[in-house]
Amino acid sequence: MKRIFQILPVFILGSFLLFSFINPIEKASYKCMIQLKNYTGEGAYIVISLLNPEEEYVETLYVQGKDSEWYSEIAQWWKFYGKRRPDIDAISGATISGGERVINLIQIPKDKIDQGYFIRFETAVEDQEYYVKDLQFELTSENLKGKKEGSGFIRYVRLLPQ
Amino acid sequence: MTNSFWRYSHLLLAGTSALFLIIASVTGVILACEPIADQSQSYKVVDLENVSTATAIIALQKEYDEVLSLQVTSNDEVITSVITEDGISEEIYVNPTNGRRLGKVKERHPLFIWTTNLHRSLFLKSLGRIFVGIISLLLCFIAVTGLLVLIQRQGGLLKLYSKVKERDFNQRYHVILGRWLLIPLIIIACTGVYLSLEKFDLIPVHQAELDWSKEPVLPVHYQGLSKIAFFKELKLNEVRQITFPFSEDELDYYEFNLKTRDLLVHQYSGEIISDIEQPFSLLLSRWSFNLHTGTGSILWSLILLVASASILFFIFSGLMLFIKRRRLSDKITTVSDKDESEIIILVGSESGQTYAFARHITQELIQQGKSVFVSSLNKYTSYKKATHLLVLTATYGDGDAPTNARHFLSLLSTIHQPHPIQFAVLGFGSMDYKHYCRFAIKVDTSLQDHHSFAPLIPLEKINEQSEKQLNAWLEKWYAAIGAHHKSYQSKKKDITFAEFKVIERTALNLDQTFLLKLRHDHNQTCQSGDIIHIKAPKTDKPRAYSIARIEDDIVLSIKKHDHGICSSYLSDLQLGDTVHAYIEENAHFHLPLNPESIIFISNGTGIAPFLGMIPNLIDNGQQFQFFWGGGRFKESVELYQPYLPITVGAQSSSVHLTYSRAPQQKYVQHEIWDQRKLIAARLHNGCHIMICGSMAMKDDVIDLLEKISIQENHTALTYYESRGQIHIDCY
Repeated sequence: MKRIFQILPVFILGSFLLFSFINPIEKASYKCMIQLKNYTGEGAYIVISLLNPEEEYVETLYVQGKDSEWYSEIAQWWKFYGKRRPDIDAISGATISGGERVINLIQIPKDKIDQGYFIRFETAVEDQEYYVKDLQFELTSENLKGKKEGSGFIRYVRLLPQ
Repeated sequence: MTNSFWRYSHLLLAGTSALFLIIASVTGVILACEPIADQSQSYKVVDLENVSTATAIIALQKEYDEVLSLQVTSNDEVITSVITEDGISEEIYVNPTNGRRLGKVKERHPLFIWTTNLHRSLFLKSLGRIFVGIISLLLCFIAVTGLLVLIQRQGGLLKLYSKVKERDFNQRYHVILGRWLLIPLIIIACTGVYLSLEKFDLIPVHQAELDWSKEPVLPVHYQGLSKIAFFKELKLNEVRQITFPFSEDELDYYEFNLKTRDLLVHQYSGEIISDIEQPFSLLLSRWSFNLHTGTGSILWSLILLVASASILFFIFSGLMLFIKRRRLSDKITTVSDKDESEIIILVGSESGQTYAFARHITQELIQQGKSVFVSSLNKYTSYKKATHLLVLTATYGDGDAPTNARHFLSLLSTIHQPHPIQFAVLGFGSMDYKHYCRFAIKVDTSLQDHHSFAPLIPLEKINEQSEKQLNAWLEKWYAAIGAHHKSYQSKKKDITFAEFKVIERTALNLDQTFLLKLRHDHNQTCQSGDIIHIKAPKTDKPRAYSIARIEDDIVLSIKKHDHGICSSYLSDLQLGDTVHAYIEENAHFHLPLNPESIIFISNGTGIAPFLGMIPNLIDNGQQFQFFWGGGRFKESVELYQPYLPITVGAQSSSVHLTYSRAPQQKYVQHEIWDQRKLIAARLHNGCHIMICGSMAMKDDVIDLLEKISIQENHTALTYYESRGQIHIDCY
């Protein structure tokens, strides 16, 4: 019995490690619709990021805007992304203009849901404002089903689990 | 004045923007290749007008897990954004009838992305865009000012596409390419400006918004999309984009962006929930974009490519023209305003040498800080600030005024000068003539009699352009006006005589006239209208004759004078003999390039240059009128028959021959008067008149033309002279 107690932590630890290797962080797909307000001017650059409970960037989920020339204008995110600039081709799309909407698919790591993490929508328009927190909310199962109002260029965002 | 205004504007605009235009045009050429490359590998598989949106939507939803949007490109391809069974979102080309995947939407080639950035913002972001926008605007102005210059040059809007007169390669193709590429260039520039204005929010947009909050009214009986009239009837060719409903919720609608409208459509009933018309500015913007980028049309892309590339040529040829003009204007200091100049130089002569001389004086005086205005005696007018007048004039015939001085004496008595002016007259002539410098003397006395003019130094007559005489007099005159003179040397080329071989000489006809055909061993560059100077043995001075160039030979028409040394010598030449001579270029009497039509007027041996010109016109199918006051007899013309293959009346060209003895007893002047309506009309249309023959005939003919011009066209003949339509070569 004593032996079992000695082995158990090792076993648990081992199986946990094994489990985490076999089964990498599982991701959930969400359909995400962004509806912009009816402003005039260029298309808006929108960056969707995952933030930890300390509001530090963890992962880029989606970038609306293909022209990397302007990425540095999204200042806060650029501090995180600009250092290493990983390839984001697969998670980027064209900008949309005022009044338009776009539907994308974003992948959210399941283990971050309901763990105090945040999802942030950052927006910037050429020669206009830059909103660090156009929209930011806690990553909870409840929040991931609803409709959230933005405070900058975003009118609202709707999410729907796939 | 307006002429140079538009030219200077054109030059200034082009000069300031050249560097940026080079960047824009090079990148433009590269970018024009993109739509061409895109269309060469098209994913268009069906005619979209045969595919209903119902078919496409059903097919896509069956084939894929989830469809987010569908987009129809301007090349009629269908792109859709879908989520596949593996949960991956993809943008792909599909066949809209069965939803099958045709290929993945490729990213734009990095070269094109890079080039686009350079093209629209020079990598300077917003600042660069402002720059490029301004350059586009300048390009607009350049094109428009270019058009105005061109209209002036061609002589009116209607003649814009008539023949180009310019000979110089750069100038010629600047004009030819310019008038054809003007339209695409203006379109490129204007659309570029529009796109820039839009970027900077300077185009007012009143965009209505689709109302997502409206709720449906119609009841729903959903039996599939294929049963709904809206989806069945709407074909894909009318669609730009369809955004699929976000969820299955009844309040999530389809968004349709059609060519001119945007709609929200209920996903189960087909009810149109919201319907807005796209504002005009949006359509304009889309048009601008397509026209500017060539999207959707290979043909237009090609035109854009050519137009873009042509900008490089325009910059190059424009620069060459500018340099050339600069070099010329260093020589010809065309001066300023008649009312701003202290010294007025009036020229009465058609010889280039006198003008060259006037320019030399002008340049010298300007370097010494004087203001000088040069013009012809015919353009005599009032001069507000003038203190000195210098007249340089030749004399024609029996003391007559040269053509560009004919009106001076009458003008002198009618025009009032605001201030007294000190004058000096310099006459050019040759002591060989009886009335040596007589016109210069007339001018001098008339000026002395005029109360506004006071003599500065006495008249001087210059014999045979003697430079010694000239310099001596100039020194006096310069001293009198308070300037310094450096010795003047004309840039006369060294003359080298050559041997010409006689290959034909006709016998004398009834008018004592004969033809001489000469050949030079080396290739000659001479043209009909040039002058040959032949030196008879044991004489000092050569005699001048107008020539016709017929193939590689030179033909002269000579009248034998009983005491003429040279003509007698020439009339005795035998085949194979050689004559000692040189050819002087006489550019103002060459056949004008691409004229509307030409009227040739000559008498006696003045026919010579026309013998070479007329066959040229006939070959080119151009119109001409030929007047010849022959000799005294009907037979006189027979001498020239071999060189005049004229069928009278062909292609509204005509030949009018007159002779002074019975039975006709007509002079060429009578025939001209008879044809006055035709001549006036031709003159009005830009026809050139070339006159060659005796001085007496020239005077009569000029008076006659003056009369015709005023009576029929209400225009002074000087108007046509100033447009270079009148060419005179008389002796």
